Amino acid sequence: MLTPPELVWLIAAVAKRDEAAFERLYTATRAKLYGVVLRILRRHDLAEEVIQETYVKIWNSAGQFNPGLASPITWMASIARNRAIDVVRKRSEVSIEEEPSAMDVAAESPDPLARREMTEELKRLLECVGRLEPDRQKLVLLAYYNGWSREQLAEKFEAPVNTVKTWLRRSMLDIRECLGLG
Amino acid sequence: MAHSEDHIALAAEYALGTLDADERTQVETLMAVDDDFTAVVQAWEFRLGVLNQMVGAVEPRPELWDRIKTAIGETEPQSPIELPETPPVAAEAARGGHVADSPIPMVDDSNLIHLSLRVRRWRSVAVAMTALAATLVAMLSAQVYRPDLLPGAMRPKPRTQVVEVKTPVPTSAAQFVALLQKDSASPAFILTVDAATKNFTVRRVGATSEPGKSYELWIVSDKLQRPRSLGVIGGNDFTARPALASYDTDTVNRATYAVTVEPEGGSPTGVATGPIVFTGKLIETVPPGTPQGR
Repeated sequence: MLTPPELVWLIAAVAKRDEAAFERLYTATRAKLYGVVLRILRRHDLAEEVIQETYVKIWNSAGQFNPGLASPITWMASIARNRAIDVVRKRSEVSIEEEPSAMDVAAESPDPLARREMTEELKRLLECVGRLEPDRQKLVLLAYYNGWSREQLAEKFEAPVNTVKTWLRRSMLDIRECLGLG
Repeated sequence: MAHSEDHIALAAEYALGTLDADERTQVETLMAVDDDFTAVVQAWEFRLGVLNQMVGAVEPRPELWDRIKTAIGETEPQSPIELPETPPVAAEAARGGHVADSPIPMVDDSNLIHLSLRVRRWRSVAVAMTALAATLVAMLSAQVYRPDLLPGAMRPKPRTQVVEVKTPVPTSAAQFVALLQKDSASPAFILTVDAATKNFTVRRVGATSEPGKSYELWIVSDKLQRPRSLGVIGGNDFTARPALASYDTDTVNRATYAVTVEPEGGSPTGVATGPIVFTGKLIETVPPGTPQGR
């Protein structure tokens, strides 16, 4: 993977319609974005569709990227993830029973990194998530990594949907306070 | 800045991904009209986004790059919206009403999920239009003798008048807003309805003009026998009209708003003749009395 400054430079070139830069950007980031959406969509055909739309959007809106707000990969991943979530939310017929049971709740952090590999921002966020009750930690991380809906979470945690809704809301507001967001 | 805890929690759950499809549309609509709210959502997205550092990379198939290259060649942002050469919905309906089996004229045919939703939504429109065809003869005689008996769009001329306003969206309580779009990524018009006066404004955001064609706005509701025209959307960025005043608040708030492509100046018949290109529903943005973000 290229360094963040290199990616910023590539995105700036893409904003000027530099196709070679776009190909380099794709090569450097495709596997990460594909990993993010495949985890949510769990189907290669859907994941490919979402990744295609994501890179088309990146091509068309590279000029809107603000390196002061987010790292390049965070910006790109949030475009990809939003598309993936839109797709799963509109496929409401897919129930939790069809999800591979291999997804172990204990592994809600999918690919644990050594602490020294984490960015400061990640350490800080994990500290705040870590202050939630253990069940709420799992709730938030399963929602984020697997893209689960409130209904799926309710089934997993054997709680009414409205309770899950309250837990999610409270957890996010607690995280916000912990992060010191205005 | 001045967002309620509800708004902040909504933004957070959007970024987390736990909202349902309707709630996501609601957030995207709010984002389109409120820059401050967009900043709140993005702050959440970027804060949570660091979690992706822990997601393992998976190589996609090499063919995917070819698809992307082809796709960017086709979707230059400046290119005009291409309108499909399909027969109009109204004509399909009048011929026997199996619109559900026919290709629905849609710009966005790449998204089957959207399409199937639209098919369901517009099936009721088609039924309404069939009913209209059956009573057309009666209507025509009414048009001659008692034009005032007919609903607005069925009356003979005068046509709905387009009022161009020089100023941007009114700053006073604009409480309801709808994104008229073909998919969540590409809003074309923003419809704002003032709950108190039912005046509405249409702001052009993504739609491009076609020479010799006009965009016409329709209200579609199960409380109305058929879609009714709200007039042609003017050429400028803003169009304002009082045409919703005769509808009750509940109908206005729950209706689907649709934009069709019509001959220049609007449908000559009062019934949509062109393809439906954008649709949307109103959502409440700010409670009455609260100043808007922008």
